[in-house]
Parts: sequence; C-alpha cells; structure tokens
Amino acid sequence: MRKIETTLPTLLADIGTFYEARKWHFLSVNGIDLGEGKIELQWIFSRYGIKDEIVIYYALSDYTTPVPSVVSLIPSAFMGEREIVDMFGLTVEGALRGLYLDEDSLPHPLRGES
Amino acid sequence: MKKTIQIPLGSQHISLLEPIRFKFECENEKIIGVDADVGFVHRGVELACTRSFEFKQVGYVVARVCGLCAITHSLSYTLAVEKLLGYVANDRIKYLRMLMVELDRIHSHMLCLAHTAENAGFEALFMQIMADRELVMDLQEAISGNRVQFDFIAIGGVNRDLTPELSALIHKNLELLSDKIDTLLGLFDNNWSLSLKYKGVGVLTLDQAYTYNALGPLARAAGLATDVRVETSDFPYEALGYTMVLESTGDIHARNFVRLREILNSIAMCRNIVDNLPSGEIQEKTKGKPSGEAVVRVEAPRGELFYLVRGNGQNMLERVRIKTPTFSAIPAMMEVFKGSEYADAPAILASFDPCMSCTAK
Repeated sequence: MRKIETTLPTLLADIGTFYEARKWHFLSVNGIDLGEGKIELQWIFSRYGIKDEIVIYYALSDYTTPVPSVVSLIPSAFMGEREIVDMFGLTVEGALRGLYLDEDSLPHPLRGES
Repeated sequence: MKKTIQIPLGSQHISLLEPIRFKFECENEKIIGVDADVGFVHRGVELACTRSFEFKQVGYVVARVCGLCAITHSLSYTLAVEKLLGYVANDRIKYLRMLMVELDRIHSHMLCLAHTAENAGFEALFMQIMADRELVMDLQEAISGNRVQFDFIAIGGVNRDLTPELSALIHKNLELLSDKIDTLLGLFDNNWSLSLKYKGVGVLTLDQAYTYNALGPLARAAGLATDVRVETSDFPYEALGYTMVLESTGDIHARNFVRLREILNSIAMCRNIVDNLPSGEIQEKTKGKPSGEAVVRVEAPRGELFYLVRGNGQNMLERVRIKTPTFSAIPAMMEVFKGSEYADAPAILASFDPCMSCTAK
C-alpha cells in the first residue's frame, strides 16, 4: 500500500495525472475523522492484474472546506462522494445528501463529535 | 422534443428481493435516464464498529452486514486486524477459510441464477436450482454449524475443523452438484426462451466496464480480466486450481455463464483444498491490539469487497471502512439500463445479483 499526500486545491490535477481507467481500478472515497474538526479524506485505487498494489491519495481537511468532485475524471465516484456527504456532513460539488440518511437522521454520524 | 415518462421500479417490486428504487425516464418503452435510491436498509454498521464494539467483537458484527456473503465480510475484517497485529495464519487456517469462501460463492451464484430464471418466467428452473443449491447449503451447515451466519472465522484462526466424515460429505455433495451444473450450462446456453430473454440484453461493454469500474462477474462477463483472488497474495488460489472465467458479450447470458463456470471452478478448488489440507492448528494466539492502518480486498461472490481498518492500540478501533461490491456496481448498473427496454429491467437487475443489505450497510 502506497500513500500519497495531496491537497484539496491540487486534488484534481494530481488524480488527473495519475489515473488511467484501463490501468487503475477506483476502489473508494473514504473519510477518517481525526478529531478537533479535522478529517482525512482518501481516494483509493488498486492496479488491475498486479498483486497487492494499492495507492491511496489522501488530503487533510476540515468539516467546512468544500471538497472537489472527481466525477469528471472517475464517473463512478459519485456514490462514494455522496456517502461522505452523508456520513461526515461535508460539501462535495454536485453530491446531494440523502444516499443513506433521511431528513430526521443523525446529521453526520461518522464525525467524532457525533 | 419527444415526450418522456417516469416509471419507478421498487422499492418494493415483485422482481426485487431487496429494497432498491430505480426511477426510469422512458421514451416509449426505452429507458433513457436512470436514478437510483439505495439507502433503504442503512443500519450504521460502520459507526457501530467503532463506537459500540471492541475489535475482537467486530468480526461478528460485520458478518451481519449481509446474509449471503457473511463469510467474506468476516474474512476481510479478520485479515485486516491480523495485519495490524502482525499475525499471518498457517496454511491449514488459510485453506479452511478458502473452502468456506468458495462454498459461499457457489451458493450465492446459484441463488442469482435461480432468480434470473425466475425473471425470465421460468419458475420450474428457479425451483430446481434452489433445490440443487441445498447441496452446498448443507455443506456449509455441516462445516460451520450454521446455515447462514457462519461465524466460522475468528481472529487467529477458524472455529471448527474438518473431520474425515465431513471431507467425504464434501466430495459426495460436490460430485452431485457438478453434474447438475453441467446440465444447467446446456440449459442456459440452448433453451429458446432463456436465449430470447438473455442474449444481447443488458449489455455492458468492455469500455463501460473500465469507465464505470465494474467488478466481479459483471466485469468478467464484459471481458475485463480482474479478480481479487489473483490480485492479492493472501491466499494460494493459483496453486489450488483457480482459473479466471471470462466472457466477452457483456449481456445477461454472459453474466449467467460466468457464474456457472465459476461454480465449476470453485467446486474443483474445494476438492483440491479438501484433498491437500495441510496439518496444523486451527486456532492460534494473537498478541496485542490493532495499531496502524490496513487495507484488505477479498473477492466476494458479487466482486471485490474492500475493508480499511485503522486502530490506535486500543480495544476500540478508529475507523472501519466497508466498501461492498454492489455499492461499486451501481454506476455500471445505471449505464446498462440506459437504452434498454423497460420490460427487460427486472431481468437485467437480477443478472447484476444486487445485494442491498451490503450496499446500505
């Protein structure tokens, strides 16, 4: 597993340079609450046909900074982006709340403060 | 501009086994747009794994994400924690875990095949496949002690061993099942009504498979050569006779055929596992508490199951991320619907073998 740090402003450029649809399988968008309003966001990829090759792009952010959408590069990413909107209460461009949660659900269940 | 109408499918529908709602935008009978609502059975499992249960209990919690592939959930989680503990299972434990995972794949594929037959109006075939499936359900119950929620895999090993009597039963049932699958292969390939309903219907092209990150039998039916069983080194699949099954047409027929041929390959691997089971303990002691971050991929019946586990040396974990195969397959699924006839939607959906319990977790 290889972890590569990125930032939200450079995310699209970094993933755009790295990602090739016929080489890399996009696994998931992930969030990990780090406490004190901080969050680690991850974009995870595995390599087709190569054993154990996983690359994680990660960026440190907070609850309020808008997260750029990677859907223009990876069309299937919209599911994962909607999930982190629900679970962490983040804002992701073009991703609506409500994949899992209802109007009266806990607002962002995977935040540490929840 | 042509007039379009919106037709919903689900969340409760005669062709659906689990709650999912598609909103189809149709032009006459043709689907031109799709929206999917997948969150009807969200249970907050990821939250429970870090707030309500200690790491030794979580393996039994994640098994409850899904009744069909409980074994792959508990295996993925257990492997992740074992990596964090620095523990590597002995070969006997690995073989026993592989045996249960492959038996699980066989019964899950048969369930899907039964439902695709049912969606083609072939009730008798549905009943026949479900009856044949009991051969492998009986094996899983005999080996693990449970029929659905096996709770067979634990951190540091497995909970039950194989006896000579069980090995004989596995050979007997798999022999019977192998003959039945051979018959099904001929039926699915040549039956006139099944061909009408399946061949050339619900096509996912290879380009779409790459673009929308298709996985599992869905990807392999479109010709995308990917299978976690040969993309990870956790288990010696190649040594036990693994063969990747690929089709190229990407239609319902191809997905059925991938599953049928994978069942035969899984049967062959199960026989090899039983015949070459290494000696060793089935439970070994592990030390410490999980610290750090580990990722694990396991090939579940519907495709890649992904777990990310992060611990900080305490009993409670910091994060358990579960990414299930159907969740990842939804974008490809939505693309396949576009351009299809509305009347084919239930059969197409069944051929994806969706598991909403996994998806919503």
